[in-house]
Amino acid sequence: MDRNYHVFSDGRIERKDDTLRVVTDDGEKKHIPIEHAEAVFLHGQIDYNTRLIGFLNDHGVAAHVFGWNDRYSGSLMPERGQTSGRTLVEQVRAYDDPDHRRDLAASFVAGSIHNMRANVTYYNGRGHDLSRVITDLDNASERISSGMRVEELLGVEATARRAYYQTFDAVLPEAFALEGREYNPPPNPVNSLISFGNALVYANCVSAIRATALDPAVSYLHEPGERRYSLSLDLADLFKPLLADRVLFRLVNRKQITTDDFRQEVGACLLTEDGRTTYTRAFEETLEETVEHPNLKRKVSYQYLLRLEAYKLKKHLVAGEPYEPFKKWW
Amino acid sequence: MYVVLVYDMEADRTQKMLRLSRRYLTHVQNSVLEGEISAGDLEELRGHIEALLKDGESVVLYELSSDSLLNRTVYGEDPTEDSRFI
Repeated sequence: MDRNYHVFSDGRIERKDDTLRVVTDDGEKKHIPIEHAEAVFLHGQIDYNTRLIGFLNDHGVAAHVFGWNDRYSGSLMPERGQTSGRTLVEQVRAYDDPDHRRDLAASFVAGSIHNMRANVTYYNGRGHDLSRVITDLDNASERISSGMRVEELLGVEATARRAYYQTFDAVLPEAFALEGREYNPPPNPVNSLISFGNALVYANCVSAIRATALDPAVSYLHEPGERRYSLSLDLADLFKPLLADRVLFRLVNRKQITTDDFRQEVGACLLTEDGRTTYTRAFEETLEETVEHPNLKRKVSYQYLLRLEAYKLKKHLVAGEPYEPFKKWW
Repeated sequence: MYVVLVYDMEADRTQKMLRLSRRYLTHVQNSVLEGEISAGDLEELRGHIEALLKDGESVVLYELSSDSLLNRTVYGEDPTEDSRFI
């Protein structure tokens, strides 16, 4: 599986000698092996030109751009290698069919609750009493029924997530109190870490969806039609607990990230460049971790699980195979 | 898989090999590159190398099934460290 490359420095990214080169403002030059790249994540202030875009396009490499406080601000996506009118038609049909859309939305909610529960269970067995959160999640899960409207499903998801966030305060040290999820901008370190982690999950899901002929803007649980790639939000929800949250818990509890990795701005708490690098490194290592896949009978990386999710969804829409959302099985 | 690539070219042609292999691997020292590579990319790289070589020049590829099999000690600065975080 190809790798993600992250550019935190300010400078310029360009095509040079048939590969990618980053020239930082300090004059340092670094090459990125284009044949080994899945996507480049641009976190700093970066210049580029049209020659670069053409080159990325030829190699099917995406560039994800992050702005202030590392909020996702857009992607330069390669021209679609996969074009399939049929897939798009089926994707929209499923959205337009209330029952079909509801079923898919319910699958996404069931999957995310399952994966949140997996995290809670892990910490419940490690000296924290989180049985109440588990009960709350189970109750939320049981409330999912076939007669539910999508808005109600979103409500169930929100309730579950609120219960789930209690885990953060139980598991993390006091300096990292969550005090409720808030963003735009995040007011404290934990919120800031959650936002950054979720943005990375989201961007990776955009890449995964792009590998199929699915349109990232047509979604089921989240309402499409806003500026975001809402299908990516649907998929990202399944993977946030596994990727973003686990990395956060691990780094904070091992004191690899401390309050020194943040700076306060007016009403916002921002990760420093050091903090972002530490987090991203752990995140990329996690993406490369592998698990034995029961159906494929081989080891697959977490990053490939994102891809598989997009493939599964496409197969469901085009070939009518039942869609089983990703549920952590190990 | 993980490969180490070393080459010996005519003095004015070394840049050609460097340019080619940089597309796949990380440059660690003069005439030495290394890194993770897929089987498909490795085949592609082999083809390019063979097309580029002239008489009297050579390239040696050391292959390992994974980097965990490689016992690697670096003295001084490691050029591959954090090559994905710039």
